[in-house]
Amino acid sequence: MRFGLSEAAWCGRFACRTSDIIIVLHSSAFDWTSCVAPVTVMATATSRPFEYLQSLPGVTLRKLYQQPSTALAIFRRMLPDLAKCFVMALLYLQGPFPQDDLETWVKSESKKQRDDAIDILKRLSILTHPNPVIDKVIEEKTEREQGGKQKKTVRLPAYQVTKEFARSLQQALMGSENSHSFGVFSQGPDQTPVSIADLDDYARRQWEGVLGYMVGTDALGGLREVKLSNGVKQLLQAGHLVEIRDRRVDITKDGFGFVLQDVNTQVWHILILYVESAEAIGMDSVEVLSFLFLLSSLELGQSYEKRHLNEVQLRTLADLSDFGIVYQDNPDAPCFYPTRLSTTLTSDSVALSNPVAGSITGPIGTSSGGSTGFIIIETNYRLYAYTSSPLQISLISLFTNLKYRFTNLVTGKITRQSVRRAIEMGITAEQIISYLLTHAHPQMRKHNATYSTSNASGIPPSVLPPTVTDQIRLWQLERDRLRATSGFLFKDFSAFNEYLAPCQHAAEIGVLVWKSDRRRMFFVTEHKQVAEFLRSQNRPQ
Amino acid sequence: MADSDEEYVGEVTDDEDDFQVSRTGPERRSKRRKQRGGAEWELSRTWETLVEGADGTISSTVEGLLEAGKRKRLLKDTTPLQRGIIRHLILTLDLSQSMSEKDLRPTRYLLTLRYAQEFVREFFEQNPISQLGVLGLRDGLALRISDMSGNPTEHLTAIQALKPQDPKGLPSLQNGLEMARGALFHTPSHGTREVLILFGSLLSSDPGDIHQTINTLVSDQIRVRIVGLAAQVAICRELCTRTNGGDETAYGVALNEQHFRELMMDVTTPPATDSQKQSASSLLMMGFPSRTMDSAPSLCACHSNPSRGGYKCSRCHSKVCSLPAECPACGLTLILSTHLARSYHHLFPLINWVEVPWRRASKSAACFACGIPFPPAPPENQWSMAEGHAKGMSVSSRYECTACKNHFCIDCDLFAHEVVHNCPGCQSKSTRPLEAQSDTAPAVDGMDTTV
Amino acid sequence: MNSVDASEHYEQAATDLAPALLTVIIDTNPHAWAQLEDSLSLSKAIANILVFINAHLACNYANEVAVVASHSQKATWLYPVHQDKDTTTSSDQDGDISMNGASAAAAAAAAQQTNKYRPFRMVEEQVNRNLRELMNSTTDNDLRLTTSTMLAGALTLALSHINRRTIAWAEAHGGADLEDTAANGAGGGSGGPGTARYSAEDDERLQSRILVVSVSGSSDSAHQYIPMMNSIFACQRLHIPIDVCKLSGDAVFLQQACDATKGIYMCLDNPGGLLQYLMMAFLPDQRSRRHLVLPTNVNVDFRAACFCHRRVVRTGYVCSICLSIFCEPPPGTVCLTCGTQLELGDYGAKPALLPRKKKKKKRVNGSAAGTPMSTPTPGP
Repeated sequence: MRFGLSEAAWCGRFACRTSDIIIVLHSSAFDWTSCVAPVTVMATATSRPFEYLQSLPGVTLRKLYQQPSTALAIFRRMLPDLAKCFVMALLYLQGPFPQDDLETWVKSESKKQRDDAIDILKRLSILTHPNPVIDKVIEEKTEREQGGKQKKTVRLPAYQVTKEFARSLQQALMGSENSHSFGVFSQGPDQTPVSIADLDDYARRQWEGVLGYMVGTDALGGLREVKLSNGVKQLLQAGHLVEIRDRRVDITKDGFGFVLQDVNTQVWHILILYVESAEAIGMDSVEVLSFLFLLSSLELGQSYEKRHLNEVQLRTLADLSDFGIVYQDNPDAPCFYPTRLSTTLTSDSVALSNPVAGSITGPIGTSSGGSTGFIIIETNYRLYAYTSSPLQISLISLFTNLKYRFTNLVTGKITRQSVRRAIEMGITAEQIISYLLTHAHPQMRKHNATYSTSNASGIPPSVLPPTVTDQIRLWQLERDRLRATSGFLFKDFSAFNEYLAPCQHAAEIGVLVWKSDRRRMFFVTEHKQVAEFLRSQNRPQ
Repeated sequence: MADSDEEYVGEVTDDEDDFQVSRTGPERRSKRRKQRGGAEWELSRTWETLVEGADGTISSTVEGLLEAGKRKRLLKDTTPLQRGIIRHLILTLDLSQSMSEKDLRPTRYLLTLRYAQEFVREFFEQNPISQLGVLGLRDGLALRISDMSGNPTEHLTAIQALKPQDPKGLPSLQNGLEMARGALFHTPSHGTREVLILFGSLLSSDPGDIHQTINTLVSDQIRVRIVGLAAQVAICRELCTRTNGGDETAYGVALNEQHFRELMMDVTTPPATDSQKQSASSLLMMGFPSRTMDSAPSLCACHSNPSRGGYKCSRCHSKVCSLPAECPACGLTLILSTHLARSYHHLFPLINWVEVPWRRASKSAACFACGIPFPPAPPENQWSMAEGHAKGMSVSSRYECTACKNHFCIDCDLFAHEVVHNCPGCQSKSTRPLEAQSDTAPAVDGMDTTV
Repeated sequence: MNSVDASEHYEQAATDLAPALLTVIIDTNPHAWAQLEDSLSLSKAIANILVFINAHLACNYANEVAVVASHSQKATWLYPVHQDKDTTTSSDQDGDISMNGASAAAAAAAAQQTNKYRPFRMVEEQVNRNLRELMNSTTDNDLRLTTSTMLAGALTLALSHINRRTIAWAEAHGGADLEDTAANGAGGGSGGPGTARYSAEDDERLQSRILVVSVSGSSDSAHQYIPMMNSIFACQRLHIPIDVCKLSGDAVFLQQACDATKGIYMCLDNPGGLLQYLMMAFLPDQRSRRHLVLPTNVNVDFRAACFCHRRVVRTGYVCSICLSIFCEPPPGTVCLTCGTQLELGDYGAKPALLPRKKKKKKRVNGSAAGTPMSTPTPGP
């Protein structure tokens, strides 16, 4: 490569291996970024609803807060403990709460948590600051105008709960106003009451149908016929969870991450996609969103009137029933039933505390049993899964070498090859581990928890054998030995001194990544300053 | 050497037995024989008690066994006894070579130290106005680890300081006992005098005749309890039986870590005392000071340290910084009333609840305290079938408080007897009207009437 | 840390944390409420407490609540009431009939009212109904006989419920149960469980706490001294804080309860502002409390109740056998509790609490072999 000095800056990709260095050209066949990208995507996936809400402008949020059910759901689901304390403490306060007081209320060593809490509250427009204070001061001024004391009023920064949020939350707590925010029971006796078991069955069937469509379990056979509407398929495609290539459904890397998550996260993921796409088809996203929160506060096994719903809500309802989030006998039925998928939307510890979500992902046929997990892993990497669901089996087979299959049990072994295979498909170690954790058999939870407490070793008890989780991570790291850095290589210096000066300069300004004195070349992330430096050096000569 | 090992050398044992303790002679030996036949755990065949249920599984039997096990723990004697609430105890730790064995994890030594710390905490929890001292046996010497005092933290730090040291040498029981006797000799007669030895060795290397020491211990009314870590040692058993008036239960050998802990924790319960033997019981005057917080720091009377908070002596108002203590100015014993109250459940234990047969079971459908539903009564002809398949366990899963006649589940039974020491039923209904009618009727519940 | 990163915050909030179980004990002593009528009536207080309970339930999906009434002649559950009760207890049949009627009516009303989140409504209805029932069942005779409240019983009931829920939770989630933590945390010395004993393990079990809304004075509860203390120690062992919201009077034993269990004690100057006090001071659960500066009660009254006249005393005489407390030497110097003849002479003197630090005691029995020198013989 014989470039002049001025052209020494060329775009390349730089990767360092533990010991030696490889320069990877831009045109390299392998795209390094793509194997890193899913990690970041998935890490934030759990906080999807939160992120989405945060991205909304304050006005929209305030509009959302007008529904008590929304205020309640957001309060419960989105806020950290300390923020909840703040909101509740300020909720019934007459005036704003001085910032200083709030700060002294929190212990000094918990400053970080306090700031986090306040930050979230502000971003969600729940706490406002300092506008209410100014209002307050002005009021006081007018009162005191005659006394001429207005200069004494101090403009202390203070916090106040946003009016809309405060009113709605108060309403939720006290139930004062007639807003139908928590749904209306159907009045007349239902001809065909739907039992909770039936609802669970319906929800599970629909949801597994969606997942099965993505994973392509049809290929594995044994999947019952679930008809998915076009809307569902389009939504999955729009969310880049699946791609359709010549009429065949191919799951994307995002999709793999998606199917391995727990149900609640999946539902939220889909719902956010839905809300986002709602705008496109001319629905008000605020309305849709607040309807979702309404659904989340309904009671399982009860039928609710459709009469009170408006156009947008009815349309949403119809769409959601395709996913199994709500149930209605037929599109024109006068009432609808929420399923577990919707009633548990705003509950926190879904996978663990709800027999509910587990029964959906869990083995088919034991939906009433309330078992939350079915996977047992031993320290020798053997995996036993008490399930007969083709969906679950195909999910497990993504990262396991399955060995035997019985009517209600599959066994297999997690091996280096199987994990590597999964990672090549774009699944991360963390996803595998969190999947295993979510579906761990209760016996594992019990055994491991008691074992480690009696041990009193101070190590937090882990449900999965630490050897297995560590090894899965290590297997992933094996593939991550290369780190790509894009930048510019300077080389072909004629003299050592000529090389040394710019190299040192690069080190000083902090752009140097690698250098080789022997071969007189160095690599930087930013070339402009170095090039300028070289020019200024050349000039005097 | 010989006297510590007698048990294990058949012929020598007999000789020495006759020679030393001729008065107990034959009956004592026969008792021993019986014990040697094997401990309960060696012979029990747990699998034989398993019976297949009607559905072909053993789950019902297993559950029954679990419940019976729970219950066994709890069925203890609840006749109100005089107990030695004010105790003086010397905790003696074996720090000899044999403690470096690893049969108890991580080593006997470290485990013993850890349990010793737990023991100290629990001891003061249960016996807040008692005194404790710690000794160690190492290199044939008795070491003083911490002096007699009522302050748990002193002992805890002293024991903690042992951790980096290594156990070495041989233990001398006699030296340890003599030192303990010295420490206990001056304790007042209204308290108990006890020694607890955690003994990991199979021998004791003594400078003199340990039997003499035992005699003096007996005459000084010092009771010795031993928890062995290796195997039963004859001298230990003799020591315990003699000093405890023939009670052999004072000597226990730990089977495993858990059992070791249990044996130790048993000692924290105040021992029963015989009122006749108790030479002097006295009325102690005590003050119950309240905690105060001053705006400016002031010196405390006990350590002359400036502090803002403290307790004011209820007689002379001098400030002390921690309780229990003796007022440095007027000598009044200052104590938190909670310290005294902590011992009350030993003195007024909750009566055991009785099993409820199916005949009376229909009275209740759910536990009175926690509301868990009971199994419904089966038809009459099945009553006898289910009867008595596990000892101490109620067929109907109900347990009845004989005072208030309410029914409770096994978990509440355990909880009430082991943790709360209150009967939820008796406490939640006024006993006043009853008292008004008949003052003579004693315990509606053991607690309320005593107050 | 990087406080701009949104996911960071969220992860904190969303980590699976054990829910909280709040048990509210409402002192419904009619005598005390009658005196308080002017500043805060019982019905208003109940309304405030219900809002507070809703707020607690709103904090976490899985949060639980239980309400116990500590009435003048009995302690009873207000929520949750075990449904099958009416078929079992034959004693208050007439009460049951009215209750059934009431519940039917309430159910009908409930169908209409849908502006309330359903879990909130259920608690509210049950509490109101059971309270009404309790008040109706209180006879004049009951009122005449007693002016106190069954606080010890209420605490015991509350603890039993907490025990049950904790076991259930541990079974379902594999956490440590109450006994385990009790065994581990039994220490902490006599001053109470150490503050440093919060561990990850504590976080994993059900977070239980008890709130006592108290109106009765201390002398009323002196006859329950021992059961009260037993419940308090049980709470202390199990790390269950007892919070006390005192509306009138001043209860010695409740102060001690808060002190021993590290709960919050608050005596309201202005009972009318009950809700705000509840929301601000008593709503945060144990996890949040670690970050907050809590209202502390620095002056704690540690007086005890004597066994003979049930007086609350500052200095007393203690029987060395059974530790009974007397306000004056009992007649005939015989302990009223255990019947021991007591030596009275030296009651002003020091009870030997701290024996002088003696050096090793020499032989007392005068027998030969003195305390042996260290003559370690080598092992076999």
